[in-house]
Amino acid sequence: MNNQKFLDHGTTLARTSSSRIIKDGFFYGVIGVATLFTIGVLVMILAFIFSKGIGHIDLNFFMSDYEQDTQYLNVPIAEDGADNKLGITIGEIETEDGIFMGVTSISSKANVDASTNRADDAYALKKGDVIKKIGNTKVEDFTAEEINDVINQQTDNVIGVKMFRPGGGVYPMIITTLMMIGLSLLIAGPIGIFAAIYLVEYAKEGRLVKVIRFATESLSGIPSIIYGLFGMIVFVGLFKFNYSLLSGALTVSIILLPIIVRQTEESLKAVPMTYREGSLGLGATKLYTIRKSVLPSAIPGIVVAIILSIGRIIGESAALLLTAGTVSRIPSLFSSGATLTVKAYAVAKEEGNIEMACAIGTVIIIMVLILNGISKFISRKYTIKH
Amino acid sequence: MEKDMSKDMNKDIAANRKREKIEAVAKAWFLINASVAIICVAAITFFVFYKGLQPFFTGNHEGTYSFIKFITGLEWDYSDNPEVALYGVLYMIIGSIVATLGAIVIGVPISVLTAVFIAEIAPEPVKKIVKPAVELLAGIPSILYGVFGLGIIVPWIRDISPKAQGQSLFAVMIVLTIMILPTIITITENAIRVVPNSFREGSYGLGASKIQTIFKVILPAAKSGIITGVVLGIGRAIGETMAVILVAGNPQGGIPTSIWEPIRPLTTNIALEMSYAFGMHQEMLFSTGVVLFVFIIVINLILARAKAKISEQ
Repeated sequence: MNNQKFLDHGTTLARTSSSRIIKDGFFYGVIGVATLFTIGVLVMILAFIFSKGIGHIDLNFFMSDYEQDTQYLNVPIAEDGADNKLGITIGEIETEDGIFMGVTSISSKANVDASTNRADDAYALKKGDVIKKIGNTKVEDFTAEEINDVINQQTDNVIGVKMFRPGGGVYPMIITTLMMIGLSLLIAGPIGIFAAIYLVEYAKEGRLVKVIRFATESLSGIPSIIYGLFGMIVFVGLFKFNYSLLSGALTVSIILLPIIVRQTEESLKAVPMTYREGSLGLGATKLYTIRKSVLPSAIPGIVVAIILSIGRIIGESAALLLTAGTVSRIPSLFSSGATLTVKAYAVAKEEGNIEMACAIGTVIIIMVLILNGISKFISRKYTIKH
Repeated sequence: MEKDMSKDMNKDIAANRKREKIEAVAKAWFLINASVAIICVAAITFFVFYKGLQPFFTGNHEGTYSFIKFITGLEWDYSDNPEVALYGVLYMIIGSIVATLGAIVIGVPISVLTAVFIAEIAPEPVKKIVKPAVELLAGIPSILYGVFGLGIIVPWIRDISPKAQGQSLFAVMIVLTIMILPTIITITENAIRVVPNSFREGSYGLGASKIQTIFKVILPAAKSGIITGVVLGIGRAIGETMAVILVAGNPQGGIPTSIWEPIRPLTTNIALEMSYAFGMHQEMLFSTGVVLFVFIIVINLILARAKAKISEQ
């Protein structure tokens, strides 16, 4: 059929003319425009996210909580304070709203870790906190020396301090993201790798294998919002895990399954048959062969599978929105917490804060770039070896 | 001595049995793990349908909701009062389909041509820039496409649109177009690369130019691969949530009559209201998920067909 086509072409092509050159030039132009569009879009997105976000990124962005906080604390005095009775050094603190006086360092003799708030909960005074009031004296416009004087004039062993902790950081979300990565890989990693071992090393082509493959393919075609609904019905509702790290990780694990299975399958298939035959020929059992001779050679591929999975977890938002929630705090297994990406959505949608979303986006894109680089490096290094 | 030998043999047999047992257990263990995918697909299908179809059949203390009213309704207005609450999704279905079609119409030519550039035209050093760029585009989380849409595309549309609002069907189309580019480019590029070199040589040998070879020989030969990419792109576009939620406008009703009007895709309906929905309202959000899921199942079946066809060839 194709030969006939070629022949037909041949007769028309014989009439080479300048119109063909113009036509070809036109199509080259169209192809070039399409490619430039693709590249242009990427450049525009990166430029937009970086330019809007970079201004927000400093040490505070990585180290602080997201929510700002004001508390009335009862701070015990230090055993032996240098500048003042509390054993803290007062200096300038930079916040988004300007420069204020606050805690710039804490001496080792200070007892500020033992502070409590009005609800009598432990609430340590920290470096970076702005001091607003000492006892009954407002100190917002005071100099450092004046604040030291006010502190030293207090007579009790416990001094009342009104403090303000500036927010705007993503520290809890970074930790949540790392926890989410760890937990979901812990769940999906072994299952995916074992499943791939079955498919490559044990399964004979048959109905069961077909069904397994179809199921795996289907999983990769389901949009994440559907995973979110499922996680919400089953993990949040039925199992009563509520909106939590665990519900989120279990949901994401299902999303990761096809990625890990497929990638591991590929790397197992790439292990030469002679490795298996040699091992089996020496009398090793199948399990021993897999453990000692197949899996070690497949490790680079499995590492790539894990890196791809990390990228997917970092990018996931719809499924986690419905299962892990949007709270900005470090979660326990059974409490909710937002990952970076979910927080980027929350600040863009609920607060309309595009700058903050872009700042988080900058961090996410840099992570994605690093992961892409690592997986490229590994695959290049090991494909050459084979 | 004979006794010793038989003892040894018994030992060997016992060891062998034990080993066989371990092997059998290992095999079963691997099989169980491989079956997790099947269980997941079955469970997802069952629970999403079960929960989403409930309000039409068994209902809850608020009663049931008419399926016809749901699937043909043009207004979504939740309320605690079942008398006045309206849960119509037809306008969302139309919005989702039109936005997806728009993205495909704009996105497919751009993607295929970019893939042609990467696979057939680009010299090696240029390829080394364009290919990772496409990979990076695929790796950007969808929410960031949405943030980009809200920050750049929506203000731009507000300037050129006859309406006062930039959040519109057009904005959704553009964002979805960008999102499906890497999917279709990657798959088309692979499809082009597996076209045998003899096709190219034959075409050149007959005096065809490079462009003629690409459009008359290579692309037709890569057709089924390209179709797979397009179907995957459709699936990605119709299921996309976070990229479009910020740019769609999400109105409470009305079929869009122009690209400047806002839409409320099925996906964003779920994500927008789930956090505070309960009772019938929440169940109707699950029902919205069922409608979306039906689309996805159809797309997946088409995809499986297309892939089977490719492997036949």
